[in-house]
Amino acid sequence: MAILPPSEGWFQQKVAKDEKIWMGLAFVVSVFLFFWMIIWHVYAKQNPSFTTYRTTPEEFYALTEAFINKYKVGEENGVPVVKPPPGSDVFLLARQFRWEPVVILKKGEEYRFHISSLDVLHGFSLQPVNMNFMVYPKYDYVLTFRPTSAGEYAIVCNEFCGIGHHMMIGKIIVEE
Amino acid sequence: MAVAIEGGEKWFRTCDVTGFRVDVRAEKIAKLNAVMAVVSFLIAVIAALLLVLTRWQLFHVLPVDWYYRVLTLHGLDALVFWIIFFELAALVFGSTAFLNTRMSSPAVGWLGTILAIVGWLLVNYTILTGNADVLMTSYAPLKAHPLFYLGMILFAVGALLIVMVFFANLMIWRRENPGQSLPLFVYGLMAAAIIAVITIASGAIIYIPTFLWSLGIISDIDPAVYKLVWWGLGHPSQQINVAAHVSVWYLLAFLTVGGTSINEKVSRFAFILYIIAINVASAHHLLVDPAVSPVWKVWNTSYVMYLAVFASMIHAFAVPSAIEVAQRRRGFTKGLFEWLKAAPWGNPAFSGLMLSMIIFGFIGGITGVVNGMEQTNIIVHNTLSIPGHFKGAVVGGTALAFMSVTYYLIPLLFRKKIAFYGVSKFVPWLFGIGIAILAVSMYILGAFGIPRRHWDITFSGGPFTYTFNPVTDFFWALFGIGGLLAVLGALIWIIQVVVSVFFGQPFRGPQDLQIPIAEPPPAPDKEHEGFAAPGTFALVLLFITAFVIFVALNYGWLSAMWEVK
Amino acid sequence: MSEERKTPGLQLFFDDFMLLLFLGVAVYAVSYLIWGLIEIAWLPPIPDEIKQALLGR
Repeated sequence: MAILPPSEGWFQQKVAKDEKIWMGLAFVVSVFLFFWMIIWHVYAKQNPSFTTYRTTPEEFYALTEAFINKYKVGEENGVPVVKPPPGSDVFLLARQFRWEPVVILKKGEEYRFHISSLDVLHGFSLQPVNMNFMVYPKYDYVLTFRPTSAGEYAIVCNEFCGIGHHMMIGKIIVEE
Repeated sequence: MAVAIEGGEKWFRTCDVTGFRVDVRAEKIAKLNAVMAVVSFLIAVIAALLLVLTRWQLFHVLPVDWYYRVLTLHGLDALVFWIIFFELAALVFGSTAFLNTRMSSPAVGWLGTILAIVGWLLVNYTILTGNADVLMTSYAPLKAHPLFYLGMILFAVGALLIVMVFFANLMIWRRENPGQSLPLFVYGLMAAAIIAVITIASGAIIYIPTFLWSLGIISDIDPAVYKLVWWGLGHPSQQINVAAHVSVWYLLAFLTVGGTSINEKVSRFAFILYIIAINVASAHHLLVDPAVSPVWKVWNTSYVMYLAVFASMIHAFAVPSAIEVAQRRRGFTKGLFEWLKAAPWGNPAFSGLMLSMIIFGFIGGITGVVNGMEQTNIIVHNTLSIPGHFKGAVVGGTALAFMSVTYYLIPLLFRKKIAFYGVSKFVPWLFGIGIAILAVSMYILGAFGIPRRHWDITFSGGPFTYTFNPVTDFFWALFGIGGLLAVLGALIWIIQVVVSVFFGQPFRGPQDLQIPIAEPPPAPDKEHEGFAAPGTFALVLLFITAFVIFVALNYGWLSAMWEVK
Repeated sequence: MSEERKTPGLQLFFDDFMLLLFLGVAVYAVSYLIWGLIEIAWLPPIPDEIKQALLGR
């Protein structure tokens, strides 16, 4: 009875057969899920990274500016467009309410993205592949991407960052 | 009315329905907290209506600033105030009436309640006056007015005082009843109270420096530290709900069909697993964040190897099997499911209990595990799938369980007859089905990448644009219909409660009882061998199959994404 | 309830809500909070070679 103290000897009562089987099954599934995440880290290709660097908005801004100047190939709607070589470090800056720069990548090549913010928290949401990561000020999140499909991709901000949050959209272009 | 008790203990009445001795001083505090809960729920539901009609961009009723303002209001009133006030009422009432014991300190109870109410006022006021457009999470360095943080601190301190009174009441009971074990319902509340201590302490740790920062006394709040500690408040506050609503499930199983956990040790063991392991799942909110490493993430997000998921699955068997065994003893033994068919479905507390369990398990629970696994979080984080998940867990699970048990609280705690009792039997269905449709459509919209907390997914004014898959239009319509149904169900329930409590006819005794309280079932003829609850066993097998398939599908989908490491 | 009958130790643990309170707080504080804060505090700065490649200093 849920409303009265349990009857004497409740602690010695045997567990019914079906409850015992169920608990065994539930426990095995639970432990399996835990090890599954570790196995996925070892063998599969989609995992959050181990690398974060400490930075400052000033330092990260300077690095992004230098990165843009080095690899700039044009401008689109006021946003610089860069085309870094495969294997390079890519700097992506989030600020209220825009992403900089637009990046052109090559399909199947690896790029080390450094993502940080100048002001508040932002959300990096790559569409339509639907991969989502958080962006902090003062922390440089390093994510090594290998695009496996070509086309135009949007970077939607999906962490509330202020009144212009819905205008914050960037772009990644993947070439064959 | 209340019957005076012999022996001169002037602050007790004896309940003429349950026979419990009720400390009237505790009862008053519990009532005020329950009223605050319903008021918060009303604000949250009105806000929800506006939000549904804004996100469904066919209507888009709110302008951008009011959208985020109302979203902040909705988040805090629904996820914090409504449920925590309700839980405070349950803690005060549960630790006195259910233990036949007295309130250790009514003064501290009142102080806590008043502080919580002042905090609630400050928070709601700063939000509505446009001084706290920071959403529920108020991630630094977004900054709100200092009174907003002060309100959160006062609310937390008030709640903590009542949790301390709860433990003091338990100690009085322990001294007066040496060697006894707590009733299971109170045991579950005890688990909720322990989780509440962790929650509230984390809230204080983070809101106090943030308050000083908003005043300009501290120059800087680190965004990673803020988010880490804040989720020590944000997530465990929802785990208080899990422990509390599972306790309410056990209570309702007893009240509606006379069901008792078939093994108290197993049920208590599951609550202990909650106490130890459930709180670290605050890590669910940091899985795709910089700063903390995947080692920390995997260990904490899994509730220390999924011990809390294991615990929930134990309850998932224990509560329905309590119902099944009671029904079978009454003679409903045919086949696997006669016990279920013959159950009192016309009793709103029973239908509410069943819907709460189904929605919590199949929608809230399964999606919660996928969201909370480190890698699959990549494809759901901050999409609409996240609120879709917690609509299933907190609204379909917790809120519906609390709404259902309220049909007993109106006569037994407030001593009023339930107004418009005839409509009660529709309320759980209307609300439950509405929330189920809402939650599932949000989860699917999230799978198409649609962000949560977003005023305009056509990105008007942005340098680029993006068009989501047009199939989403269909799910937005479903989202709207589900949301409207749920709002309607909630409003009917609120009207019933308000009319009953403030304008209702007095409840004079057992003859006025509208909602039935089940007689305990007859004792078993002989010792039972083999399966105690085969019907429940079949249901939980169905559950685990759905669970494993859903996890596998999500990992399969994830493997089709870009590579990232 | 007879005074003589010995309650199993594990049952005493189940019933000891203050011990459970301590355990709940301790596991959370160590596993989530302290470990998390240590990891945040120990993050390295951006390596010099990355900075030099772009800034040329």
